[in-house]
Amino acid sequence: MPNAIEVQNLTKIYPSSGSGRGLLAVDQINFIVKRGEIFGFLGPNGAGKSTTQRMLTTLLTPTEGQIMILGHDLVDESYPAKRQIGLVPEESNVYTELTAWDNLMFTGRLYRMSRIDRTLRAEELLKDFGLWEKKDVKAEEFSKGMKRRLSIAMAIIHKPALLFLDEPTPGLDVQSARTIQKLIRQLSLEGTTVFMTTHQIEEANQLCDRVAIINYGKIAAIDTPEKLKQTFQQVQSVEISFTSSSKGLEDKLNTLPEVSKVLKVGDKWRLYTDSPPDLLPNLVRFSEKENLGIVSLNTLAPSLEDVFLQITGQQIGSVSNEPGLHKKGMKRKKGNQS
Amino acid sequence: MKKFWTRILDELSGAWIVTLKDIKVYYLRPGMIMFGFLMPFFMFFSFSVRRDMAAGEGMSRLLALTMFFTAAAAGPFIIPTERRLGTYDRLLAAPMSLFTLLLGKITVGAFFAIAVSSIAATVGVLFLDASIAQPGLMMAGIFIGSFTFSAMGLIFGSIPTRNPGDVQMPSTLIRWVLLFISGVFVPLSEMSTVARGVSYLSPLTYAQDLMNHAVLGTGELALWLNLIVLFFSGFIFLLPSIALHKRGRVLGY
Repeated sequence: MPNAIEVQNLTKIYPSSGSGRGLLAVDQINFIVKRGEIFGFLGPNGAGKSTTQRMLTTLLTPTEGQIMILGHDLVDESYPAKRQIGLVPEESNVYTELTAWDNLMFTGRLYRMSRIDRTLRAEELLKDFGLWEKKDVKAEEFSKGMKRRLSIAMAIIHKPALLFLDEPTPGLDVQSARTIQKLIRQLSLEGTTVFMTTHQIEEANQLCDRVAIINYGKIAAIDTPEKLKQTFQQVQSVEISFTSSSKGLEDKLNTLPEVSKVLKVGDKWRLYTDSPPDLLPNLVRFSEKENLGIVSLNTLAPSLEDVFLQITGQQIGSVSNEPGLHKKGMKRKKGNQS
Repeated sequence: MKKFWTRILDELSGAWIVTLKDIKVYYLRPGMIMFGFLMPFFMFFSFSVRRDMAAGEGMSRLLALTMFFTAAAAGPFIIPTERRLGTYDRLLAAPMSLFTLLLGKITVGAFFAIAVSSIAATVGVLFLDASIAQPGLMMAGIFIGSFTFSAMGLIFGSIPTRNPGDVQMPSTLIRWVLLFISGVFVPLSEMSTVARGVSYLSPLTYAQDLMNHAVLGTGELALWLNLIVLFFSGFIFLLPSIALHKRGRVLGY
């Protein structure tokens, strides 16, 4: 059985309006998404996430490279590929002049579902998504979360084998976000491959079987979230909270030999280190010497967010850099779309 | 062979689905009513008031004007609006060819123009006492002309932009220019040789002359020439639309 997505040497250069060489948004990327996976595509704004997804869904013509969707070449066989994919863009693109029911009926027709199939499926989806009571209400009266749910329902009414989600939860309340995350897990259990672009790192950590991190148009890392975290053991940290604070405490913490970076996180201090066991006794001695009581003390494994920041070179810039990954591709132009 | 025809039918049904949706979503939108319905009538009345014009002549001009202006109004309004709202992506990603999508969009504008022109014809016959020399030819002319001018409007709608205003301005400007060179306000027979030569470049000239044949029973040009030029202009108008859409996919619209 072919992979859900196979991408080879995919490149996108946006033509410039003048006589310049254009904007390199995606640069010779290669990756595979296996069937049934939830695959996260992470990256900072302008890294090339949405550009890649738009190329994978035929909305944007690549400058170079090959895309295979469910075994179909997207250039020569886009029709069978399109029949099997669903797309949820970042902005919920429902027809606000139509009711929830009419939106679903239209999409069902667009994917050539029979009247019985689309009626049954629409009823099932509206009930599952908590929109059944509002089925005859025009979408213009829906909240952002309701529009998002309707947009996802429209994307999966034809039971696509591959679902593309662009930033599925930003801007939603916690309840709506959790409903959508639960739905993504459910779709995966039912065999749907999910390709989601996001910059919600924790969401990707919770949902994805594998993630790719794209930066400056290049794939900087691709693996399971846990393996990525293991690769970046130097961003382990110890989080400590003192009973009181003293002037110059940050500078003093920075003098501890095992500490590579100090961050103030609320009422706590996060000390990045590649060796928490060595740091802990030193930290206890330090608090005694400075006359500071310890309220809490925790060791933290690197989070996916730490890995992301490390790779993309954001914020924790002074943590020892991973050669070959950090700020790789800086010489390249940054894309004009995320 | 069966597979081929199944695919053709599938594509045609895709175009029809797009048309039905657009009729439901856009026909009553203020932009469509303003540019597609009210404007041609306002233009006609502002031109014809205080002019000594026979009912049939007035109706022939009104039919050409509504057919042209209404059909060409849909594309420049609908497509940039859909691009701005993101709903156009849903159609571009759907299982249908670009040609099918454009056919659906052309049909939306054509049906709107057929409906508005039919209202104009009914008003002319019932209230202005106008008579129609060849009703069948009039209906055929409205049908062909509506599709042709809807395809023309689609060229402007295909310009890669998400702002309907960027498209409305040039499309309205060009439609105005065509109105003045195409024998709608000044008949071909009263034009100078040079002006007449220029008018032959406009497909609206042939639509107006076709309506003259249909309503008045006479025209300046051969009937067959009017029909052929109008029919094939529609196909020719599709080519820049397809090219602009492809350009839009390269640019990211």
